[in-house]
Amino acid sequence: MTISRTILICSGKGGVGKTTLTANLGIALARQGARTVVLDADFGLRNLDLLLGLENRIVYTAQEVLAETCRLDQALVKHKQESNLALLPAGNPRMLEWLKPEDMQAIVSMLSERFDYVLIDCPAGIEDGFKNAAAAAKEAIVITTPEVSAVRDADRVIGLLNTRGVAPVQLVLNRVRPRMMANQEMLAVDDVTDILALPLLGLVLEDEQVIVSTNRGEPLTLNGSASPAAKAYTHIARRLQGEDVPLMDPAREGRTGLRAKVRRLMQTKIF
Amino acid sequence: MNAASRARARRVLILPPQRSCDWRQWLPDQREFLAAGSVDLHLGDWSMGCRELTELMDALAREGYTVQQVITHCATTQIGAAALGFPSSHRPIQESGKDNGDTDSTDRRGDLRIHRGTLRAGDQFNSEGHALIIGDVNPGASVTAKGDVYVWGRLRGRAHAGAAGSPSARIIALQLRPLQLRIADLVARGPEEPPWPGQAEQACIRDGDIAIEPAQPPFLDDQTNQRKSFSAG
Repeated sequence: MTISRTILICSGKGGVGKTTLTANLGIALARQGARTVVLDADFGLRNLDLLLGLENRIVYTAQEVLAETCRLDQALVKHKQESNLALLPAGNPRMLEWLKPEDMQAIVSMLSERFDYVLIDCPAGIEDGFKNAAAAAKEAIVITTPEVSAVRDADRVIGLLNTRGVAPVQLVLNRVRPRMMANQEMLAVDDVTDILALPLLGLVLEDEQVIVSTNRGEPLTLNGSASPAAKAYTHIARRLQGEDVPLMDPAREGRTGLRAKVRRLMQTKIF
Repeated sequence: MNAASRARARRVLILPPQRSCDWRQWLPDQREFLAAGSVDLHLGDWSMGCRELTELMDALAREGYTVQQVITHCATTQIGAAALGFPSSHRPIQESGKDNGDTDSTDRRGDLRIHRGTLRAGDQFNSEGHALIIGDVNPGASVTAKGDVYVWGRLRGRAHAGAAGSPSARIIALQLRPLQLRIADLVARGPEEPPWPGQAEQACIRDGDIAIEPAQPPFLDDQTNQRKSFSAG
């Protein structure tokens, strides 16, 4: 690693899996040996610490670091099992107004001296929270689900990232249900990439294990789980590091018989 | 001192276009033109994954070049360069700048205002004359022109032609699947059925309503029999 990479993880719409991706990608990168820090820029409604199981270890935030009431290494929360991963909450939920884009840049430049990857968990929306988070990012991963509303919001966010000169921007498609895609009840992968016109970094299947792991505070990638989502997150991390990992084909993942395939060929797309 | 170091950083090694040759044959001759040392690498339209980039970087290192920065028109290459840890900048051939007036992606030719690149959700593009979009108009984006709207791509957002009230204005797109169309003061929802592939279409006012039909080049006279011969074929 010659330079540190600062990657914004954003979506526009809420609830599509930004925080889950950040946590799992952070763990996966750390397990692959990269020194990684996850920065929770969504500190008004922060829950990256919950997903990582680090809620009770947070003492300081980036706010105290910038005010010089504590040192950076005091504020960084090291993950209990994965020592390559650290968490830094950007601020205190009770003081939302303090953060400016310059503050974010200052925090990130401090972090990039020590880490190979700085992953920024962006708040939903395109208001100040997004602008602050985007100000410090060089690259971005836009995550969306195969739903019209999520794709629309992602499209808007990509436009904003382009005007800010954030590049490359890559796409992760989350909560893919192969069966529904095969039956044309859900936007197909092509429909989404057609509109967003971004290189696809990964596909994550809908997976109940994600809910279990979220509630437990142990990201799926932590224990080498064999669940489909865990595999997808690990693959995303490997692709991010420059490895050639082929994309999953949702048509093969779902138990689709010949009939569904023929039907798929015959029908036109729903979108 | 400062100026000298900047001059050194500006040395750029430019790969010839991807179609013209193989860089493996091209590279060994380059030392005659550019001395070894640190260079910026301009990859032009080359699309390279990590593996090929690594190979190229190794070859460059053997020739004595140290790459400071990678410049590319290709998104794949930029992702690869980022993964290998090179500072990189992406310069799309078709700029994807945005709405607010005079960004570098728009230019004017007479009463025609041109936008290069995709118009994404939330973007708005206005023209006092005709509007030409070279790229897609995504759902949620809108184009407004006092004259005609031309989209060299897919029109899936909103378009308003003849915004100042001209009923002869047209909306033409390679693929016409808008959410909503407006011509002068008429409004129509987009068609439900998918468009014919490979057939550019236009929307214009026929008998007081907005109708969609196969597109005619602007230089053809707008004759009805001309249109019929199109739709018959």
